[in-house]
Amino acid sequence: MRASIALPGLLTIILALFAAPAAASSFAGTSAGSSAAGSSASSGSTSGDDKIVRQARDDAASFVASDGAIRGAMLEAALHHLRESRPDLRTRSDLQLAQAILARQ
Amino acid sequence: MTRRRRGAAWHVWLACLFACALPAQALSLELHADQAGLDATEAARDLAVRTFVVQRLPAKWSDALGDVRVEWRDDLPADVHGRAFDGRILLRRSLLREPDERPARAALVHELAHLYDRDDSGDLSRDPRLLDLAGWQDAPLRPWRTGNHFTDRTPDPYELKSPREYVAVNLEHYLLDDDYACRRPALARYFDDRFEQPRATTECPPEFPFIQAAEDASDPLLELDPARVYAVDYLLAEGNERPMSRWGHSMLRLVVCAPGRPTGPDCRLDLAWHEVLSFRAFVDDVQVSSWRGLTGSYPSRLFLLPLTQVVDEYTKVELRGLRSIPLRLQPDEIATLLQRAAQLHWSYDGRYYFIGNNCAVETARLLHDGVERLRAVHLMSITPTGLLRRLEDAGVADTTVLDDRPEAVRTGYYFPPFNARYQAMFEIARDALELPQRNVQDWLALPPTQRATVFGEADLRASAALLLLEEAGLRRLELEARDILKHRLSSPARDQAQAVLAIQDTLTRPSRFAPDGYGLPQSGELAAIDDDARELADRLRDQRSELMVRARKLLPAPARRDLEAAEANVSALGQRLRTLHEASGGLYLN
Repeated sequence: MRASIALPGLLTIILALFAAPAAASSFAGTSAGSSAAGSSASSGSTSGDDKIVRQARDDAASFVASDGAIRGAMLEAALHHLRESRPDLRTRSDLQLAQAILARQ
Repeated sequence: MTRRRRGAAWHVWLACLFACALPAQALSLELHADQAGLDATEAARDLAVRTFVVQRLPAKWSDALGDVRVEWRDDLPADVHGRAFDGRILLRRSLLREPDERPARAALVHELAHLYDRDDSGDLSRDPRLLDLAGWQDAPLRPWRTGNHFTDRTPDPYELKSPREYVAVNLEHYLLDDDYACRRPALARYFDDRFEQPRATTECPPEFPFIQAAEDASDPLLELDPARVYAVDYLLAEGNERPMSRWGHSMLRLVVCAPGRPTGPDCRLDLAWHEVLSFRAFVDDVQVSSWRGLTGSYPSRLFLLPLTQVVDEYTKVELRGLRSIPLRLQPDEIATLLQRAAQLHWSYDGRYYFIGNNCAVETARLLHDGVERLRAVHLMSITPTGLLRRLEDAGVADTTVLDDRPEAVRTGYYFPPFNARYQAMFEIARDALELPQRNVQDWLALPPTQRATVFGEADLRASAALLLLEEAGLRRLELEARDILKHRLSSPARDQAQAVLAIQDTLTRPSRFAPDGYGLPQSGELAAIDDDARELADRLRDQRSELMVRARKLLPAPARRDLEAAEANVSALGQRLRTLHEASGGLYLN
């Protein structure tokens, strides 16, 4: 008998290992999501500020790489937020801000 | 505990017989009791109970009943508290000797409710609206309603026995509990409407509690104030060729405003605060079985997830696009919709059927039951795109936001799948670094260490492109590792994984945090729920990271090496980007 049959639920255990289930669409075996490194890798509580900027990292990377041609909503949200909360950043261009988001630790 | 049992059929039959023989009804309720055989204490209790109940009864209800005679009996079957015939109620005498009046009051109201429900002016239990709210729901492709799956946080499981018992149990609580209107707000309003008389109750807090199924939540309890929700969108995950996701997935997006921002269009970009309501089958197996899906072995529950997590999951992991289509709803409609969603979240434990009870059916029902105006619209559809069409035809969904695609992407009405973006990133890197590979697939098929050899040549733009590609590569390796591990998990790791799963199951079934109360949890319960949920979330995070470490060791050496190399690539590119940024005198945020 194969392990996956002998041990019901075993495959879900694997699901639990990496929080990115193959069947995430309408099926939530886990608290699904992408756990890959990069923009969504860190965990724990972060301030709203941090979160917004961190979530914009992939969009910022595509924006910088495409020289502004690819402009996603997460980046838009972060630009909006940065200019709103930091008056000193209002004069900076989108590209400057996107590069700064990308260069953050 | 089920403590009552009443044979429905025979006493309905008897009631008909009596009804023909009785004189015309009196104008208002006269509640007599046969006190013969009661001792002085019992008689006093009887009088107090009757007086209390008569005073509480709404006029419309008592007007419908006329003369009713109460008999306190010792000869009712063991688990029966009362029985109702036309004009006559039998109640268990021992209820008069309980420490307080409550059980006797409840039993009396329960039987009076049956009498009212049987009356033409009552007839609540056949009202489609009552059945919708209670949880006997419309189903597609058939004329009869579903069973009632609102099994969690019920005041008395006996209510699920039949719509008649549901009405009687709920009228008990409606009349006798001060917080009924806060626990079951929609039903309380329904009864108020039917009795044409609002029952004065305590003020309910405006927020509705949810347990957020966030990946990294440290405080899963979220109290959502409808006044902070600017809009609700129909969120449609586009289908792909896999059988389980061919039809797409229906969800609702809550456009929640950031703290401090006035509710308005600016909230559209507060993506970090937006939430998604999604019906999902809780699957305890990654190999989703069509057979189990067809036969309803998966529980279907209503999850609340952060939008950003949902976007990542679909666009980056599943490579599916998300369309977010605004629904034209008024603020009071958003409030009733959220209220209904909260009710489902805490009480509903349905069954997922790929055709008869899928996400589209559940979402259509949520809109139908939660928004009064939509009750007149035929929304029921078995596919997510079918539901969207119906919402569009009814003038509720506004798909024009998608007409200008780049604008829709920028403003968050469309989240494109990442595969096109990965190809674009590859082309940028290829042009800058003269890579020989033809496409992104060929590039990612290379071993991570080989890909790393070009990093030193990459300028800022190419490094940014390569970073996204390395993240994609890492994600793919993680999925592969998962497949390998399913045959290799050692016994201690398996136990640990089971523990993680048990925690996750709790986090996806909110009623587990507060099994004792009923309906929406109230302030007295929320503090404990909050503590428990935080503690559990912490434990989940710790155990999951321990498990990850353990599982990593179980991987075969080449797989582990690749995974580590890909992680090193991501971090090397992050470092390179920072170095290039610094060299160019770039801006710093901190």
